[in-house]
This record gives sequence, C-alpha cells and structure tokens, in this order.
Amino acid sequence: MNKSQGAAPPASPPRWGLGGIAPRSRFTELSLLVWVGALAVLGFVAVVGAETSSFGSASILVPAIFIVLVLSLHVFLIARRFRGDQVLMPIAAGLTAIGLVLVQRLASDLLLQQLSWTIIAGGAFAATILIPRDLTALARFKWTWAFLGVLLLVAPLFPIIGREINGARIWVKVGPGSIEPWEAVKLLLVIFFAAYLEEYREVLSRSQRRIGPFPIPPIPYLVPIVAMWGIAMLVMIFEKDIGATALFFEAFYAVLGLALLLVGGFVAYQLFGHVQARVDTWLRPFDEDLRFGSGYQLVQGLYALANGGLFGAGLGNGMPDRIPVVWSDFVFDAFAEETGFAGALALLTLYLLFLYRGMVIALRAPTTFLQLLAAGLSFIIALQTLVIVGGNARLIPLTGITLPFVAYGGSSLVTNWMLVALLLRVSEVSNRMRGGP
Amino acid sequence: MEITFAVLLWGVRIAFLVVLYLFVIRSFGALQRALGSEMAVAARPLGIAFLVVQRSVRGAPRVGDRLPLRAVNAIGRDAGNDLVINDEAASARHALVEFADGEWWVEDAGSTNGTLVNGETVRSRERLQYGDELGIGRVALRLEQ
Repeated sequence: MNKSQGAAPPASPPRWGLGGIAPRSRFTELSLLVWVGALAVLGFVAVVGAETSSFGSASILVPAIFIVLVLSLHVFLIARRFRGDQVLMPIAAGLTAIGLVLVQRLASDLLLQQLSWTIIAGGAFAATILIPRDLTALARFKWTWAFLGVLLLVAPLFPIIGREINGARIWVKVGPGSIEPWEAVKLLLVIFFAAYLEEYREVLSRSQRRIGPFPIPPIPYLVPIVAMWGIAMLVMIFEKDIGATALFFEAFYAVLGLALLLVGGFVAYQLFGHVQARVDTWLRPFDEDLRFGSGYQLVQGLYALANGGLFGAGLGNGMPDRIPVVWSDFVFDAFAEETGFAGALALLTLYLLFLYRGMVIALRAPTTFLQLLAAGLSFIIALQTLVIVGGNARLIPLTGITLPFVAYGGSSLVTNWMLVALLLRVSEVSNRMRGGP
Repeated sequence: MEITFAVLLWGVRIAFLVVLYLFVIRSFGALQRALGSEMAVAARPLGIAFLVVQRSVRGAPRVGDRLPLRAVNAIGRDAGNDLVINDEAASARHALVEFADGEWWVEDAGSTNGTLVNGETVRSRERLQYGDELGIGRVALRLEQ
C-alpha cells in the first residue's frame, strides 16, 4: 500500500498553500442553490396542496430539511476552501429536489426513506470530497476496483445474499433492505477503465494489424476488455437485466465502439425468452395480447406522456398513479404528465448541462487519467438518462435503469452523489493547477 | 373560498415551472461564465519549467536532457508516468511534482528508496525552488525555468 496515504505528517505546509486566507466564497453555487430551494418548496406545496386541499405547514418540513442539507454541503465546501466547480452540485441538488417532490407525489409512504437516503447521499458526497486525498491514487489500485466491481456484479447471483425483485435479479440483501450493487459497479468500472486506458493508451492505439479499415490493438491488451464484455453478457443472461448490461458495457465503449454489444444483444435476443419479450413489448405494446399484460406499464406511460400536453396537467393534478411502479421506472413520464412538454424539456436540459459541464471538466483536466475519469463519469449519467427516458418514451426497449438523482432508490442516489463529488474533485485539480477560480 | 384555493394552487404550479426554467437559465449562465473565465485562465502562460538531468544511469534520461514539466507530473519507472525514470532504484510510481498556487511542489508517492530534495528525504509535500536538486533513484534532476 501507499505510505503517503497514512496519517498526515506533522508540520507539513498547508496542503494547497492557502494558509491564512479567508475561506473562498462560492457565490455562484449559493445563488443557484436559492433557486433549488424555491423549487423544492413550490413543488411540495403544490403536491401536498393538491392531496390535502390546503396549504398546511406540513408540506414545508421536508423541503426545509432538504434545504438545510444542501446548504450544509455548501458550507462544508467553503470551509474546506474547495476550489472546484460551482454549478454541478446545484444541478444535482435541483434534480434531487425534483425527485423528492415526485416521491411525495407518487409514493408518499416512501418519502421518509428517500429523505434518509438523500441525507446519506449528502454524507457520501462530503466523504468523497475528503477521501482519497490524492485522486491519482485511485488509478494505482485499478485491478482492485475491477475485481471489486466484478464481485459486486455477480453477488446477486449467489443464493443467500441475492434477491430477485420484479423479475430482475440485481439486488443484494443487506440487513432489512436490499441494495443494487450495479450502482457502485458503474463508479468502480469508470475508474478502472480510465486507469487502464491511460496506462495502455499507446499500446492500444498502435495499429500493426488491421481488419478492413479498423486497426486491431495487440491481443493481450484487449483481454480485459473482452473479458468485461463476456461478463456483461453473462449478467444479462442470469440477472435478466438488460439495462445494466447496456450501461455496464457502454461505460467503456464510450471509448471503444459498440459492435460487440450489438452482436451480443442480437445473439441474446435469439437465445433468451426474456430479452425477446422486452423487445416485443417495445415494438408492439398496443397489441391485444400485450396491452394489458407485459405492455401495460409502457402503454400507461405513453398515455401519461400524451395527457401531459404542452404545459402538463399541473403538479398533483395528473393521473400518473395508473402506471405500475411509476416511482422507480416511470418518473420521467409522471413528471412529463404533470408539468408537460415544458417541464420535461427543462428536466432534460438539466441533464444536458450536467453533461456539458462534465465534458468541460474532462477537457480541462491535467492528466489523461483525470480526463478519462471525468468524461466517463459524466457520460455515464447522460447515457443512463438516455436509456431510461428513451425506454419511457418507447424510443428503445424499456430497461430497469433509474433516472439519475430523480427516480426513487437509495443506492442510485448515493452513488450518483459520489460521482458528482468525484467530478468536482477533478475540476478542483484543474483549477489548482491553472490558478483558475 | 374553494375557488381561491384552486387559483392559488394553480399559481403555485405555474410558479414551479417558472422557477424550474429560471433555474435552468441561471445554471446555463453560470456555466457560460465559468467557461469564459476558465478560457481566460487557459490563455495565460502556465508556470512551465524543466527538470534538467544532472546525473543518470544507463537507460534513464541522459545527462543534460531538459524534461518539460506539465502542471502535474507523475515520476517513476512505469511507462504510465509523465516522466519515466528507467532506473531499478526508482519505484514504479515514485514521486509527484506539481504546480499549484504559483509554486512547485514535490511529494513522494510511496517510493521504496525515497525522494530527495538537495540530498534530504522528502517527508511530506515540500516546496521546490528553482535550482533545487531532486533525487529519484540514482538519477538527479534540477528544477529550472
């Protein structure tokens, strides 16, 4: 292990040479967080108001807790004299606020749980800002991350700890609840592939052999990548979760190409019933045999989208509860029904801004590892959004991926907030190096 | 009474959408401003310097070589480092040299034989002055502008 990772040695100079200077103000962040707070309060007042036909003070409690949480994260960053990006955190907070409003709207009995997860996610965010002290250290343990990732990925397959919910075996029992290890896996794999590709970028890009116009990297260096592909396909077969497989694979084909997934997907379609069923439901959900069966959820989702129109039915005024499991699979349709095309567009724009900011952070990052890390992290959020929104809108087959920050679910919220913290850390490294804001 | 509540509720719903849009627009504005200032910073010349090889062994950089430094530089025996020191006495990932807040800093990355600055072992993160001699394995490098 790395010696310099231990306790801070005494009498070291202030780590980033800012000793004696007053904490940095993060005014941009604060001013954006004000809007986030307003969003949370208005959303809760509208939803609770529609439910109880009154503006009770009860509706303010949850947004108040949320605002305190977000502000304490802000103060934490100031106290750390953190110099990273000031926009990503408010965007993530805004999406989380929308998520809380939607949980109150769609499954209010789960609200307390989701609020607790939000607080845990805030803690995980703060912890990721603090550790590891040196981000490059992440690259050094890449094989550990790959091993852990694979272990977590196959964990649901084991009989005692694994758990099948709604036909997908992607949960692991922990105490009374269950967590979705895939969510942690995506972080681990982005870190692994960033480190792997950094180390072997020269070997991988050297092209002695070609198939047609495509250069083929030396075989030994492709082994981990092909192995990952194999594992992804196995997971798809045994865990019955196509969405995770697609994302898992895309985590690195962002850099390497998509042919293998298509081939694998086609073979899986030919061989496995549940993959065929998913695709059939996607292609003809309105057919007599499907619209009240496996296509019911999708059909109701499409009705909800249509019902939303341009400006929506109004928060708390639609009928999204007709969609089964709407709070985790179909939050996008629910939001689009109640706030209309206008609201859906704003929501998607927030994800777009997230991706935009993430890619700028990646471009500015000083080392290849940090560049690949930031690009991979922001890309995975964008892709996850694309896969689930596309599924909700019947653009692509529906998968069990969660809408980042918004959909109900603790594992996803916690890992996504850790992801934001990592992006912030990458931007901090660049700002420190370049003397930026 | 009933009607006023309904009207108020619609007011809240519309306000929600309006605030959502204002938030999106403000975020976009903040992003553009951040990008602007970052580009202004990027246009400034970086405090770039060189490590000039003073003493070396076979296979490692030759004496007199000027190794350009970037903002962050991983130094070690591994091919994945920014500065590769091909000496068995150097660790795979030996040290980090970085430019932060207008100064150069060196940090040992858990090397087996330690990192030296002017002959003394680096204990934590230490400031590097121009002219300082950095010892990595059997190779000595001097920081120059």
